[in-house]
Amino acid sequence: MEVKINNQDGNATAQLIGRLDTPASQEISGDFETLAQYAAGTIILDCTQLEYISSSGLRLFLSLRKAAAAKGGKVIVKSINKDIRSVFMMTGFLNLFEIQD
Amino acid sequence: MKKARQLDPHCEAILREYQDNLPRFREVEQEVKERLRQTLADAGLLVAAIESRVKGYDSLAGKLELKGHKYSSLADLTDILGLRVITFYIDDVDKVASAVERLFDIDWENSVDKRKIHEIDSFGYLSLHYICKVPDFPYRFEIQMRTLLQHAWANMDHDTGYKSGVEIPRRYMRNMSRLAGMLELVDDEFSKIRIELTDYRRRVQALVRSGNLDEVPIDGDTFRSYLELEPFSQLNKRIAAMNQAEIQEVSLMPYLAIFKAIGLKTLGDISNLIRDYSEGAYQIACYQIGLTDLDIISSSIGPQDLCIAYILKIGGGKAGIKYMFDQLNGESESNETIAEMLMEQSKDLPFMNK
Repeated sequence: MEVKINNQDGNATAQLIGRLDTPASQEISGDFETLAQYAAGTIILDCTQLEYISSSGLRLFLSLRKAAAAKGGKVIVKSINKDIRSVFMMTGFLNLFEIQD
Repeated sequence: MKKARQLDPHCEAILREYQDNLPRFREVEQEVKERLRQTLADAGLLVAAIESRVKGYDSLAGKLELKGHKYSSLADLTDILGLRVITFYIDDVDKVASAVERLFDIDWENSVDKRKIHEIDSFGYLSLHYICKVPDFPYRFEIQMRTLLQHAWANMDHDTGYKSGVEIPRRYMRNMSRLAGMLELVDDEFSKIRIELTDYRRRVQALVRSGNLDEVPIDGDTFRSYLELEPFSQLNKRIAAMNQAEIQEVSLMPYLAIFKAIGLKTLGDISNLIRDYSEGAYQIACYQIGLTDLDIISSSIGPQDLCIAYILKIGGGKAGIKYMFDQLNGESESNETIAEMLMEQSKDLPFMNK
């Protein structure tokens, strides 16, 4: 699992690449802490190359959403594949994020 | 930039005293403002603004140049530090005043309720001014309390170049008075609306608490009151128990639009939906997450799956499901994919075949 973060003017974009399962969530938790520093701005999670998400991955997304809500920022989840969209729907997470195709 | 002014030694002494105490004035400004802000926040009183300023050197020098003889020392000037609380509602001016009375010592002799001193032929829409004191600071300061409309009046009035009640050409007097009267009327009407809304909310809350849900139409207020009863909690817990999942509490207010869109009119209708479709919603959730290791769900899962179950059962089909997700998440082609998936799943769900 790989995370590539680009930041500009208080906003950040993270490309999530690979499978976000439980071990990967622990592996990239530091990256999400880095992303949380941009919680006052817009954080885009680019999921074009994200293949899978587990509950641990959802928790990471959720922690970022909470940080953004507390600081007046927002998290945009971009280009999730059909399976991940389905996971978001099945857990009631779909309307928690701004989701862009 | 200090302008050259002709001030007598007495006024110069007042100005020196002002400059010596300026840092302390600024400290007191922040202290007073923070105490006021905190007290109003603790009381749940939402105000439009709390403004403050310490009078500038030039402004004071100008005042002293005109009427310096009236003041024996800086302590005679009560407007070196001034604060202003601008409220949304006229009733809140009195609430702010009572907070100010509790917080500071009031110099009643010099405080004026300009709202009460209108002459019959005067014009203006004025505010309440208190002259206040705090311990360990020898100078008094002024707190003005007014509504947004009084504030608007004061600013417009100032811009005309006339002080209220004096020197206005008679031909404009009538129009100014009409305008002031209208603003006063508007402030009163806003207050009345707030009182009526508060009363409506109380009645609705009483109806919700007493369980007379059929009598309560669905709107933002009533739905919020209803959510306090946690109507979806039982369903959510049942779904969560499947995978020993944790439930993340989220706002369910977005479902207000969905419930209205599917034709529900009263809170009783929502209650009936829960009664009649919880089993269907549970079957949907079972089918979707029962065989996964997903152990986190949001509290919107209950209302979401209830609406899906209802739409499927009444034959709303793919278009109905897509419409629901478009309303919740914004229009997207991907919502069609979800709708197709749900349509496919629904064939295997027992409640659909009853």
